Amino acid sequence: MMQTSPVPATPSKPGWLTILGAPLGLAAIMTPAVLLAAGGGAGGGFDAIVHGIESRYHAHATRIPFLGLMSGIAGIATHGGVHNLHLATFENFNTGDKPVDGDELLGLVEQRAGGNWSRMIRETSRGGDEQTLIYIRPEAKQIGMLIVDLDHHELDVVELSVNPDQLMKEAREHSHHHHDTDADSDHDRNDSDSN
Amino acid sequence: MNSIRVWAGILALGVATTGAAVGRAQDQLPAPSPIEKELAARATHVTEVTLDRKMLAFASKFMDDKDDNGKEDKDDQAVKQMIQNLQGVYVRDYEFDKDHSYTAEELEGLRKYFENSSWSPMVKERTKGHAEGTDIYVKLVDNKMQGLFVLDAEPKELSLVLILGPVDIDALGKLGGNFGIPKDAMKKAQKEATK
Repeated sequence: MMQTSPVPATPSKPGWLTILGAPLGLAAIMTPAVLLAAGGGAGGGFDAIVHGIESRYHAHATRIPFLGLMSGIAGIATHGGVHNLHLATFENFNTGDKPVDGDELLGLVEQRAGGNWSRMIRETSRGGDEQTLIYIRPEAKQIGMLIVDLDHHELDVVELSVNPDQLMKEAREHSHHHHDTDADSDHDRNDSDSN
Repeated sequence: MNSIRVWAGILALGVATTGAAVGRAQDQLPAPSPIEKELAARATHVTEVTLDRKMLAFASKFMDDKDDNGKEDKDDQAVKQMIQNLQGVYVRDYEFDKDHSYTAEELEGLRKYFENSSWSPMVKERTKGHAEGTDIYVKLVDNKMQGLFVLDAEPKELSLVLILGPVDIDALGKLGGNFGIPKDAMKKAQKEATK
């Protein structure tokens, strides 16, 4: 019977993997923290815009409870037509005596939105109490939409992904169903009138 | 001899690059004219819609080309096809609280800013004694309409519509009402173009 004798432990030289491993590991831990501190990550988008508005206008966004659940339900209800819904609403949005500067809001949103978003629509009013910004970006077969809407003292930030083909299909089916229901109710009404 | 060939090659490359850049610049949407900023400052409500080729391709997916029964509608399909082939759509709409909040000089400046040698005036409608009126320019390439510019000045509203790319006259009327393009302006352009 062979016996194995324990090999005496000898201090091994650190390999290149060990030398590189420590800073890489540290970088992996630090990067998300640094990006979050910078305001929402390298991609920007919804969170970065909401945080930007909160810090610039000293306002606090109301988080909608169970929004993730609602987003899931919307996805199921529309068969994937609408999903990834994010919503933040600023109630009693007040900038004091000064009206909201549309150019400043535009600059803030565009700075924070990050790459790939293209502005499609901008609506502004002279008093600054109505501002609408709509951006879109391609997302594989879907379209990402980012909406910032100020209506007097309410400001909403919405981000969602839309599958246009599916959404149009759903809209058509709903419209078709609606026509059928109308036709049925007209038919029932005519029947009761004749009786 | 060789150096002459090298220089000739560099010159040819330079000419080709410049030509391509000029061609591309004509197909690209213009930067806002300084006059537009002044108009925006005076307007009570401003709507800006800017869609490049990529965005149009995505936005066209939201256009329903089927009827309520799910059958393909040829007219709507033609509009969708035209939108997918366009280079860009640029719409600016200014609403004012007072009549004639713009001057004849500003209108002339806008016309000059948008027109160049490849654009021909198609409609010039004026109201005597007032700055208001309608101008329609078309860009013709090989007798095919490759662009349309509409400047519609009403007493309290000023609309600019610039469409770049192949324009289908038959589908033009149906383009109105989409992407912020005024319905009346498109119908007028279609009527004049089919004369």
